[in-house]
Amino acid sequence: MAITKVVEIPIVTVEVPIGPQHPALHEPLLLKVYADGEEVVKVEINTGYNHRGVEKLCEKNTFYRNVFVVGRVCGICNAVHANCYVRGLEQILDISPNCRAKYLRVLAMELERIHSHMLINAVMAEIVGFETLFMQIMLDRERVMKAKEILTGNRVLADYMMIGGVRRDLDEVKRSKIRELLLKLKPRVEYYKKVFEEDETIVKRLIGVGLLSARDVTRHSMVGPVARGSGVRIDSRASDKYDAYDEVPFNVVTRREGDSWARMMIRWDEALESIEMCLYILEKLPRDGNPVPDERRLPRRFPLGEAYTRVEAQRGELVYYIMSDGRGSNPYRVKIRTPSFNNIINSAFMYVGLSLADVPVALTSLDPCISCMERVTVIDFTKGTRYSVPFKQLARCSA
Amino acid sequence: MTRPKLLKLVLRNLFSKPATIQYPREKTIVEPDSRGVQYADLSKCTGCSLCALECPADAIQMAPIPEGYEVPKTNPRRVYPVINYGKCVYCYRCVKVCPVNAYIVTSLFNIAGPTKLSSEGFSLGTLKKV
Repeated sequence: MAITKVVEIPIVTVEVPIGPQHPALHEPLLLKVYADGEEVVKVEINTGYNHRGVEKLCEKNTFYRNVFVVGRVCGICNAVHANCYVRGLEQILDISPNCRAKYLRVLAMELERIHSHMLINAVMAEIVGFETLFMQIMLDRERVMKAKEILTGNRVLADYMMIGGVRRDLDEVKRSKIRELLLKLKPRVEYYKKVFEEDETIVKRLIGVGLLSARDVTRHSMVGPVARGSGVRIDSRASDKYDAYDEVPFNVVTRREGDSWARMMIRWDEALESIEMCLYILEKLPRDGNPVPDERRLPRRFPLGEAYTRVEAQRGELVYYIMSDGRGSNPYRVKIRTPSFNNIINSAFMYVGLSLADVPVALTSLDPCISCMERVTVIDFTKGTRYSVPFKQLARCSA
Repeated sequence: MTRPKLLKLVLRNLFSKPATIQYPREKTIVEPDSRGVQYADLSKCTGCSLCALECPADAIQMAPIPEGYEVPKTNPRRVYPVINYGKCVYCYRCVKVCPVNAYIVTSLFNIAGPTKLSSEGFSLGTLKKV
C-alpha cells in the first residue's frame, strides 16, 4: 500500500477521545481528537458502536414486513425511510398511488422535517450551553408531534406508508386540528429563527465555526442542509419531484456562509417552508378516491426486478436499492445509503484549526444520526461467523 | 453587551403555570384513534395465523384456547393469537391484514409494569365461559 498522504502530528499533541459515550454526543460515535494546546490538529472518526445489521434483516424478512423494519433504521426520519422503500417496491410492482395518497405522504414527511429540524436546533442550543432555549424549542416541538399523532396515529414512529398509498385517511376534523396546530407553530418558529439570528451567545458560538466551502462540500459528496449551507443547491425534492413535490410549491433555501450558523439557519428556513407546504397541502388536498389500499389484497408475489429510489430526508439525500429475484417473498438485497454516512464520515477535515470546545458545535451542526450510518457487516459462511467492520479498516482495504 | 433576546420569555415563564404535567397523577391526553394496545376478538377470530406470519416484530404467537371456553365453530383448530406487548411495535399490521377484521383497537398506551404483559387476558375476555 503506497503512502499517499502524511499528516504530521507534533509530539506535544494531546489525544482527546470525544465519545463513544459523551455528554455532548447523543449517539455513540468516537471522535479521536488530537489537540495542540486548545487547537485541533487532526480528527479521526471511528464508528461501529451502533451496528444492528438492518440490511441483512431486510433480506431475512418479507417485502411487507420490511416496510416496518426500514422505518426503524432511524427513529426521527422513519417516514422518509419507509417512503423511499415503498416507492422502490411500487416501481417493481408497477403500482402508482392516487393523488390524495401522494399529498398525504408529503404531509407526513414534511411534518417530520419540521420536528427533526426543531430537534437539532434545540440540541444545538443545549450544546452551546443555552438550556432555556433548548427547553422552549422542545416545548413548541410538541405541537408538531401532536400534529403527527393526529395524522399517523403515533408521535414518532409513523408506520404511515404502504404500497399503493398510505395507511390512514385524513378527515375534516383532523385536517382543521392539524391546521390550527401549524398556524400556532409558525410564529414560534419565526421567533426562534430571530433568536438564532440575534442572540449574542448563539452568534458568538456558531458564526465562523466549522467552515465548509462549496468546493469542499462537492469534493466530499456532502448532502442536505450541510451542502445547502455552503451555497450548493442540491435537493432531491426539487430534482426528482417524487410523490406530490411536483405540485406543492416550495423554495430550495441556500446560504453562502458555509459555517455552523448558516447550517442551523437553513434548518429554520426549511422548517418555515415545510409549514407553508403543509398548510398548502391541507388546503388543496385532492379528493380523487380512497388513499388507503386494502392491505389484504396487495400482491403477495414480487416479479423479478430492481429499483433505485431516493428521497430528500431531513439530513440530505437518502437512497434505497431494492432487488427482487422473483422467486421468494423476501428481497434479494436491500441497500441503504443514508445522508449522515456522507456528512459525518467525510467531515474529519472540517475540525482542523478549531478549538476543542468548538468540536461538538461543529459536529452538531452536521446533524449526526449515527444509527443511520452503520451498515457494514461481514458474514463468513465457511466458518459460520459474522462480525462488523469499522470504517477505518474499510478505508484501508479500498486504498 | 446587548440584552439577552430570551429575557422577556423567561420572565413570563416565571409567573406562568408549568408546561409539564405530573404524569402518573395527571393523564396524558392522546388522540382517541392513536395506535395503542390491540387484541383479537375471539368470537370473530378463525385462528388462521396470518397475523402471526405478518408481524414484523414476531410478537404474535398462536396458542391453544384453554378448556372451559365456548369456542365458535369458525375456529376449528381452537387457536388464537397471543400478542407479547413487550415485543410489539404497534404498527397495526395484524389489524390491517386480518381477513375477518377480528382485532379490537384501543388507544391504551400506559401498560408498563412489573409483570410481563400479553393480550391473553384481553382476548379470552371476549369469549363466554362454558
